[in-house]
Amino acid sequence: MIIAERRPIPEIAKVLEPYQRVLVLGCRGCVAICSAGGDREVETMAAALRLARKLEGKPLETGEATLIRQCDPEYLAPLKELAQDYEAVLSLACGVGVNLIADLYPQIRVYPGVDTTFYGANPALGEWQEKCRGCGDCILDVTAGLCPIARCAKNLLNGPCGGSQKGRCEIRPEVPCVWHQIYERLSARGELDRLLAFFPAKDWRPAGHGGPRERVRDDLRLG
Amino acid sequence: MAVLTLGILCCHYTNTAGEEDFKGLPAEIIMKRYPCSGHIEVADILRTFEEGAEAVLVAGCEKEACHNLSGSVRAEKKVLGARKIIEELGLEGERVKMVFLPRLDSGAFMTETKAFLEKILNLKSKEKGV
Repeated sequence: MIIAERRPIPEIAKVLEPYQRVLVLGCRGCVAICSAGGDREVETMAAALRLARKLEGKPLETGEATLIRQCDPEYLAPLKELAQDYEAVLSLACGVGVNLIADLYPQIRVYPGVDTTFYGANPALGEWQEKCRGCGDCILDVTAGLCPIARCAKNLLNGPCGGSQKGRCEIRPEVPCVWHQIYERLSARGELDRLLAFFPAKDWRPAGHGGPRERVRDDLRLG
Repeated sequence: MAVLTLGILCCHYTNTAGEEDFKGLPAEIIMKRYPCSGHIEVADILRTFEEGAEAVLVAGCEKEACHNLSGSVRAEKKVLGARKIIEELGLEGERVKMVFLPRLDSGAFMTETKAFLEKILNLKSKEKGV
């Protein structure tokens, strides 16, 4: 899922300073699952912002709503009416939601309430770890399902760097060296020969280096 | 005479204290009772500040005696969440506190309430440089 984290309240309060009525808009997708932008976080954010403004002697009126998703036009449709009574919308969705609101409703002043951080797994309650960088050219078939782009601090493609020690990363020793893990796993399977295969230099264009990425499936389009 | 407003969020089982018990305290009390302290959210604590409380005490059952097993442990985490936010807003984290109390013991509850009240009064005095 996409992982996000609440932005500091004073930063958000500063952005919203010119407004008296703000709609705090949550999303029940990824950000709800990672406890950054679901119903509960909407309630907390709205209360925190009102309190911040009360302390400044400039009361803020907030509306609270949470949509099923903010990354689909059909689920964003109610926003036009929801936002009518407010001067600005604080979206607690990932950056995708904020962008789509800005694309579809240019008249709505939308601001981000969270920082969108990474694509991650939820290995334990209250813990999220990056597992994929969305580079668009998967090599997990060669690396035993462990991604050296997302999980190696140096994004190395040809084995561990000289700095890893006893299977730990030199940048953050609490993190396992993913190349060490890849080697151990392939070795246990008797598949080390996978690492001997030559492959061309990685094409980074699908990783976003060629501008915004798009995917079109004609068979799914209407009309 | 009330010199400050104190919010108290607690589960039904920690005490049966009422208006009479708070009578002698130099504080206006905003009392909110919940079926379980585990039901108290960060937003509830922030709203109590918004309603005028200068400090908020959250009271739940002793950790091993919660009627719903882990309600008060959950409440403690919400208190930490609220503390982080009020600190971001420039308020002292001490203004929100979690206490674990024996079930239906208003004596222990009042002792904690008075101690917290005193602490916040001291905090206010320091702020004023008294």
